[in-house]
Amino acid sequence: MKKYWSVFKISFVQEFVYKANFIMWRVRNVFQIFIVFFLWDSIFADPGRELFGYNRAQILTYVFGIIVVKAFVLSARAVDVAGEIADGRLTNYLLKPIGYFKYWLTRDLSSKALNFAFATVEVGILYFILRPPLFLQVSPIYVFAFLVAVALAILIFFHLLFITGLVPFWYPEAAWGAQFLFVWVFTEFLSGATFPLDILPIAIQKGLYLTPFPYLVFFPIQVYLGKLGAIEIVKGLGIMAAWIVFLRFTTNWLWHKGLRVYRAEGR
Amino acid sequence: MEKAVVISHLIKNFEVVEKKPGLVGSIKSFVSPTKKTIRALREISLSVDEGELVGFIGPNGAGKTTTLKILSGILYPQSGFVQVLGFTPWDRKPAYLKQISLVMGQKNQLWWDLPAIESFNLNKAIYEIKDSKYNQSLGELVKLLEVEKFLEVPVRRLSLGQRMRMELIAALLHKPKMVFLDEPTIGLDLVAQQKVRDFIVDYNRRHQATILLTSHNMEDLVGIAKRIIIIDQGKILFDGELADIVSQHATDKIIKVTFSKNVNIASLENIGKIKSLRLPQVELVVPRATAAVAASEILQNFPVSDLTIEEESIESIIRDVFKTGVIKKTKLKKTV
Repeated sequence: MKKYWSVFKISFVQEFVYKANFIMWRVRNVFQIFIVFFLWDSIFADPGRELFGYNRAQILTYVFGIIVVKAFVLSARAVDVAGEIADGRLTNYLLKPIGYFKYWLTRDLSSKALNFAFATVEVGILYFILRPPLFLQVSPIYVFAFLVAVALAILIFFHLLFITGLVPFWYPEAAWGAQFLFVWVFTEFLSGATFPLDILPIAIQKGLYLTPFPYLVFFPIQVYLGKLGAIEIVKGLGIMAAWIVFLRFTTNWLWHKGLRVYRAEGR
Repeated sequence: MEKAVVISHLIKNFEVVEKKPGLVGSIKSFVSPTKKTIRALREISLSVDEGELVGFIGPNGAGKTTTLKILSGILYPQSGFVQVLGFTPWDRKPAYLKQISLVMGQKNQLWWDLPAIESFNLNKAIYEIKDSKYNQSLGELVKLLEVEKFLEVPVRRLSLGQRMRMELIAALLHKPKMVFLDEPTIGLDLVAQQKVRDFIVDYNRRHQATILLTSHNMEDLVGIAKRIIIIDQGKILFDGELADIVSQHATDKIIKVTFSKNVNIASLENIGKIKSLRLPQVELVVPRATAAVAASEILQNFPVSDLTIEEESIESIIRDVFKTGVIKKTKLKKTV
């Protein structure tokens, strides 16, 4: 689809408009890596130490993995959906022969492409500075499964973001609140983006796996680290696919309900 | 002639949650919100021929914008029949959306941080406009609206007038057959207003496009739209030729007199109603039929240095229509 390719390009151009902002954002990312790295590096200062089933190389890989997976999965442009619905900018899109969902998915992917390009360079440089003992997955099957998991995670997160973005159809004031609570707080803690989830008690872990959150960050990294068997991986990917189907239907349903009550008011 | 727009018994209600003022009020509305139904459109019916340019006029909140939003497929009505170019607007079929455009004076579709040309190129892709058609269309619009110099300037640095013209370009690149313009001249200075108005008339002629234009300002429509629809509180008060409403409602004339000496104002009141008094100038409202008699009476009995007889302004006629809410001898067009 040519029109979405154009959206991809203009979105890319837009990202560069605020150059200072962009640079600060990248600098912040790099500092984050430093902080997390030194924190875990000092905890595992003793080379023989193992905690929660992680040795030094694995935990440091986990930390680097979080950064890469987050850059892909959790960096998303679609946070603007809520605002556009609340203040009536959605009208602009409804008037045009373009799909709003596909439009934002495209913008999201565009933003991720940019993010990925920079994250790769940054991680590369940091790797040579810090020389961490990273765990390199050599099995192509695991690497492939990891990539599939990341792709599915991107779709799950996009749907979650989009669904919470639809809340302002009914509660225009809740645009920010709903997203903050359901997306950022929950994902930050429950996805494994802050700490590996397997340090939690088993019962809590089991409960968590009933939600889509662990699949966003934790699961893909586990796949990469080779901590899961073939059956567990296939099962996990299957559950992810099922979540996407479910979220897709929910999104569609809410979107059409929302359009009926949309007031197109605004500024 | 083909009908471009057909509306029959269209009803649109909005539910609003009332917010009471103050902290206690806020908590009350939070705990038990009181809902209120606003009847934005109460069974309106009208139709518009292809190629017609119709002015929609009414005060704020009359239902003008709501009507345009329903016609352009953004809002769903409660009930009623609506068809535009043979489509049901809120189905929002791509084939329909490619033929229409809605320009809102108070909103913008352009990418704020980027030069307008980027938004135009994006619209080219979205509307799937062919290269040759796009270049021709863009070239024509840019020339007509005189914005060659500003194409590469980020939108946020443009003046309101420049931006509005860019908005028009973005909205018309795909050569829509049906154009909805919502207060396109709002906030513009007089020169810019005139430019936009001239352009609208020109576009209508050049492309035989059907245009529905709203305004709360009568002056906006004079010389543009032959037919006007007056709407207030969700009801159509008048639908017909602008000239008709003037002849129906302009029952009075205004005599402007400048006196050379002080005069007895009380005796003037026997001749007509005093509209404004800024001595030595006085404005009198007199019935149309007796205007000439009244004027000669003033000339004979008062020390006059200047006297003119004028028509009531269209603005005040319309105001009169809104105030009374009735149209004298109205022939509301029945549709369908």
